[in-house]
Amino acid sequence: MLARLDDVARWAQSSSVWPLTMGLACCAIEMMTVTSAEYDIARLGSEVFRSSPRQADLMIVSGRVAQKMAPVVKRLFDQMADPKWVISMGACASSGGVFDNYAIVQGVDTIIPVDVYVPGCPPTPDGLLYAVNLIQQQIREGGRGGILARA
Amino acid sequence: MPSTQTPPIAGVAIDPTSLRPPIDDATIERVERSNLRVRLETLKAEGYTMLLDLGAVDYMPREPRFDLVYHFLKMPIVASSVAEVGTPKRLRVLCAVNDGDVIKTAVDLWQNADWAEREIFDLFGLSFQGHPDMRRIQMPYDWEGHPLRKDYPLRGPGNERSPRPPFALKSNVQAGTPPTGRTLEALQEQVKKAQGK
Repeated sequence: MLARLDDVARWAQSSSVWPLTMGLACCAIEMMTVTSAEYDIARLGSEVFRSSPRQADLMIVSGRVAQKMAPVVKRLFDQMADPKWVISMGACASSGGVFDNYAIVQGVDTIIPVDVYVPGCPPTPDGLLYAVNLIQQQIREGGRGGILARA
Repeated sequence: MPSTQTPPIAGVAIDPTSLRPPIDDATIERVERSNLRVRLETLKAEGYTMLLDLGAVDYMPREPRFDLVYHFLKMPIVASSVAEVGTPKRLRVLCAVNDGDVIKTAVDLWQNADWAEREIFDLFGLSFQGHPDMRRIQMPYDWEGHPLRKDYPLRGPGNERSPRPPFALKSNVQAGTPPTGRTLEALQEQVKKAQGK
């Protein structure tokens, strides 16, 4: 069997993208559904939601980010070990959504870099699964950033 | 129990001495700010052991501008029988206050007033004298302004991308003093136009 070490590492990495346990709002309900038997994110190797940012590879920003929450999200992202990826899940995380007001950050990409945006309010669990798929694809291909998960 | 009372009439509360018609079985009373603390102490002594809620309302441009709203519950227990409990009584106390007025705290009477008063301070900017910890509770500590005030811009100070007319209160329009310069007739005209008449 012949393979570049890089490819093997990427294959391993992309097959064990562990998300951070972080639910912010109603999108988190859909995020939890993704771990259920019906959708089963374990098929992608991402069923291990880590409670410590030190052990997580993927941050799923699942919901609106309040101005008060923003420094916390930023800090959690900074505490995650490199390499790390970010999914902006739903309208609120991506753009503030219907919360066009003083209390909500107008898009989480104003505070941390986002790799995949999932549209929807909330996105379906399939949408989130597809986003994780795109992250895996990115990892295998070594690319980064700014993808819209559109079916 | 279904309410037999008529719902509140818009604009009634503009007059500080007027009271909205009750929408439940609560009795409503209005007290002067100078008498507030004494009245609260009396209520506590009378057996209103529970402060259900404490909030504030901004009635800009009314003078005085804000209303403090205390919701109380009294659960008198008939001592002779454990099974027999007296009829609970509800009371709502309104108190009109202005920006910067001295308001005495109720924390030493009802402990749950602590966070409620902090919330009022945070969102309306009314400060309570004698409160053990008068800090913001919801917004970040370094936040500027008080978001639930009617004159607070929706997107926060300096973040308005498109200018909006200031808040048009229905009651202002009825009172003939629209802050937007729009009269009741102009508003009705606008509604008619929107309905395509």
